Amino acid sequence: MTSSTLTVGERSTVAARPRAPRRRIRVGGAASVILLWVYALAALAPLIIMAFNSLRTEQDLANQPLGLPLHPDFGNYSRAWSEGNFSTYFVNSVVITVFSVVLGTGVSVLAAYPLGRYRFRGRGALSSYFLAGLMLPIRLGAVPVFYLVNSLTQSLPGVDTRFWLICVYAGSGVPFSVFVLTAFFRQLPMELEEAARIDGAGELRIFARIMVPMVRPALTTVALFQFIPLWNDFFFPLVLLRDDQWTLPTGLTRFFGEFESAHATLSAGLVITTIPLVVLFLVATKQIVAGLTAGMSK
Amino acid sequence: MRKFCALVAALGATLALPACAPSTSGGGGKVHLTVETWRPEDTAGYQKIFDAYEKKHPKVVVDYKPIKSTDYLTVLPNELKKATGGPDVVQLKPYGPLQSYIKAGNLVPLDGQVNVSGWQDKVLQAAKGKDDGKLYGVPYALQTLGILYNKKIFADQGIQPPKTWADFTAACDKLKKAGITPMATSGLQPWVLAIDHQIFGATREGGNDFEQAVLTGKKDFTDPDYTASLQTVADLKQYFPNQVTAVDYPDAQTLFTSGKAAMYPGGSYEIGPFTKTTPDLQIGWFDAPPAPGAKVNQPLTSGYVDGSFGVNAHSEHKSEALELVKWMATPEFGQLYASTLKQISTVPGTTPGDPLLTQAYQGYQQHGATYIMVVDFGYGNPLGRDQEGLALQKMLGGTSAADAGKLVQKGISAWFKPSGG
Amino acid sequence: MVQAQRRLRRPVGAGGGRPRRRVLLTFLLPALALYTVFIIYPLVSAAEYSLYSWSGNRQDGFAGLSNFHQLFTKYPLSEQVWRALGHNCLFFIGTMLIQTTLGLAFAVLLHKSRRGKRFLQTAYTLPHLVSPIVVGYLWSIMLNPQFGAINAALRDVGLGALAQPWRGDPHLALPVAIVVNAWQWVGFPMLLFGAALAGIPDEYEQAARVDGASSWQVFRRVTLPLLTPVLGIVTVLTFIGTFNVLDLIYALQGSQGNPGFATDTLGLLFYRTAFQNPDPNAIGQSCALAVCMFILIFGVSLAANKVFRRMEERLK
Repeated sequence: MTSSTLTVGERSTVAARPRAPRRRIRVGGAASVILLWVYALAALAPLIIMAFNSLRTEQDLANQPLGLPLHPDFGNYSRAWSEGNFSTYFVNSVVITVFSVVLGTGVSVLAAYPLGRYRFRGRGALSSYFLAGLMLPIRLGAVPVFYLVNSLTQSLPGVDTRFWLICVYAGSGVPFSVFVLTAFFRQLPMELEEAARIDGAGELRIFARIMVPMVRPALTTVALFQFIPLWNDFFFPLVLLRDDQWTLPTGLTRFFGEFESAHATLSAGLVITTIPLVVLFLVATKQIVAGLTAGMSK
Repeated sequence: MRKFCALVAALGATLALPACAPSTSGGGGKVHLTVETWRPEDTAGYQKIFDAYEKKHPKVVVDYKPIKSTDYLTVLPNELKKATGGPDVVQLKPYGPLQSYIKAGNLVPLDGQVNVSGWQDKVLQAAKGKDDGKLYGVPYALQTLGILYNKKIFADQGIQPPKTWADFTAACDKLKKAGITPMATSGLQPWVLAIDHQIFGATREGGNDFEQAVLTGKKDFTDPDYTASLQTVADLKQYFPNQVTAVDYPDAQTLFTSGKAAMYPGGSYEIGPFTKTTPDLQIGWFDAPPAPGAKVNQPLTSGYVDGSFGVNAHSEHKSEALELVKWMATPEFGQLYASTLKQISTVPGTTPGDPLLTQAYQGYQQHGATYIMVVDFGYGNPLGRDQEGLALQKMLGGTSAADAGKLVQKGISAWFKPSGG
Repeated sequence: MVQAQRRLRRPVGAGGGRPRRRVLLTFLLPALALYTVFIIYPLVSAAEYSLYSWSGNRQDGFAGLSNFHQLFTKYPLSEQVWRALGHNCLFFIGTMLIQTTLGLAFAVLLHKSRRGKRFLQTAYTLPHLVSPIVVGYLWSIMLNPQFGAINAALRDVGLGALAQPWRGDPHLALPVAIVVNAWQWVGFPMLLFGAALAGIPDEYEQAARVDGASSWQVFRRVTLPLLTPVLGIVTVLTFIGTFNVLDLIYALQGSQGNPGFATDTLGLLFYRTAFQNPDPNAIGQSCALAVCMFILIFGVSLAANKVFRRMEERLK
């Protein structure tokens, strides 16, 4: 990043100077604090309304669109879970997303290791090849993906179509993961691995026992960053899978047709789709913020 | 590393295992037939119907697989392309949308296989290939268009189902004054507006004479009678819900079923779901009176075939699937379908059990008209229905009727060539 | 960067200083195969498909550029393509104006504030985790003219006159979609700008202040130029994001971009052309559209990247 080019010398000289006048800052400061908190409300209000709606009855909601769930009612959730098929969608979402992330991260960490640690012919070209994927809108290949998956299902009828979706998803996570992990591997000191090599450890052993543990924080970031868009995707399951194999976002499109104007039940479906990510976010805010800004440290 | 390999292997195994049992052939030597439709709301009804079939065909189990209607057109082509594991019998949209499946060879021709003697040509046309004239599906239901009304509100306000346009607008004014939305409809969904136009405008444009004139090239959609019929609908805006262009289809349904609106221009297909979700709602039915300046001086009941059932060319149980579709052309299925799902069956000799449907069906038989934007102009991009709805949306936003007519003509003429002249 | 490269020495052992080919392949092949087969190959195939004419799912024969010709001359596609492109441009401009400006403002204000910083950051970023499909459906419920929270809230505070058919007015529908999208994504530029601000030493600002500069001048003359590289990244990412927008509009306004295509975008048009097209040549037309979109998105992104690199170098 550009900031790393700043020299240390300047700092000490500037720090000694007196501070700027305070008062104006305070007035502006109060206004900005208010602005920040008002917007925080605007950012959260729709999500809170969604949660409230999901706990109210249809009747209540139709009479009073904006209101508190004074008598919380979980009937909407059970309706969405059983009648709306969310039990099926939920399991599909978990299975497909988790396996895609594991596979995508697994192959990426394998590939990033030689790209970050070795010199070999074609390394630059290979890095660029992976990097190009960061900008490819993969949905534009939806029609051929459909044919590919179809012919794979035809020639390997024993394999569930969901497996091929997982492959597509895993492939889509490769560019970002390889990019981030390569940078991490590059920064690790050589000494550890040299010591191990002198002890006679093989490449795979060095990789698995020494290198992978060292990039574990990056692995978390990379895994999270595949997880979010895959969990949220509705497009590929819609195109590739049968309806009983659908994930939560795809299932929502059907749910909204069936329950049309039952806004409370629909809200429960939205909450079920969203909760896992919110929990994940609250648990791992730091890694998510780190990942979001990772693209900048080129 | 070994752990990782084990993980990958485990991953592969868990995925492969459940897939070992293909869904179409279960245990006990029974053949499982998958029937794919866009009617999730009819699941219980269809299961009842197919139970009757399974009783007579003990070797067959019919699996009913509904998909949300708005996704069906996306899902079905993909399902039909599957070489294995696809559905056996599929519900097919009528007229236009059927054609690309026929061209791609996705469906089995049914000529000589099913008995459709005594069926109206007009009905069978919904399931025929436009190029080869062969039959690819067995039509199941006829839909009619008209105005549903809330009997209680009409009684409370002292309103009778109107016979003339003046009575009709007077009733609307009275309702409006009483704080009741006269008519619930959706201006957000183009296809709903197209249905409104068919209901209120058919008499003005000239019904079946106009249809023939356009098909043979004597008239087109810039014709003053047609644009005047568009204007008829636009002039009703004052009786539609506030901000009608923002009202979505389910909102319009709710306005009517919750008693906030007194009338609902729509199809006979609404009656079943309405009475199911709101059992205490008393629904009546009447045909729109002839519009001012109408070319046809009696009410018209417009109708069209809802769709058909066809056999997937990639079906792994083609003969069993054909057997099922054959049954769907019999009065037994037709009557069962009509009474279970409250629909008008296309099978000759059946009667709808529901009194409202009987009324609508009689109207269609006595003074029927074709829903031309679906029946005749549903074969290309853009669909006539969508284009007409788009033109009406623009009119509700202030575009003139003449310009709206030009827009419809532009869309239809992009792919339609008249037969005559 | 330089340091990192210097540190990259060749490992000793293993095949005389170079990794053995077999080991190398073991590491590289899985990712390479997955990425090539499931990502690159389909995109290349889409380009190939666009050169053939199709009947449903049957390939009829080589068609040259006829699919592209149809795209720009055959009504209604010819009209829809340009309209959708226009909407994407408006979407991009609107998003840059609202989302990027707000993101920058929040980043600057948060940078200075102490209390509740973590909470505010979390609040702002939370919506962007939610699936765009969920966001679209959620707002479609809230913007419902009869039963929605927005109009109800306006009526409750006596501003009933401002209640609008938000999704149904052709002039409002697109701006509303842009605002909803900005609501979802504003945390993203905020975090990027925030990270960049954290990298600027306080001393710069203090030095300028001593020279008598006002807050605004400091921001304009000192902070903003230092943020140019991030602004470049944000612009390119916003461009890619807004030109691929599909899920949100699909949920908010349906696959036809209601009302009357007022919210139609290239992503939606591609979806319709590929999967809801009554034309038998749907595959040819949709793949031609995919190729055009690809060239547009990839080309503009590369060009913009180059422009911002140059600006960055000039600033140094």
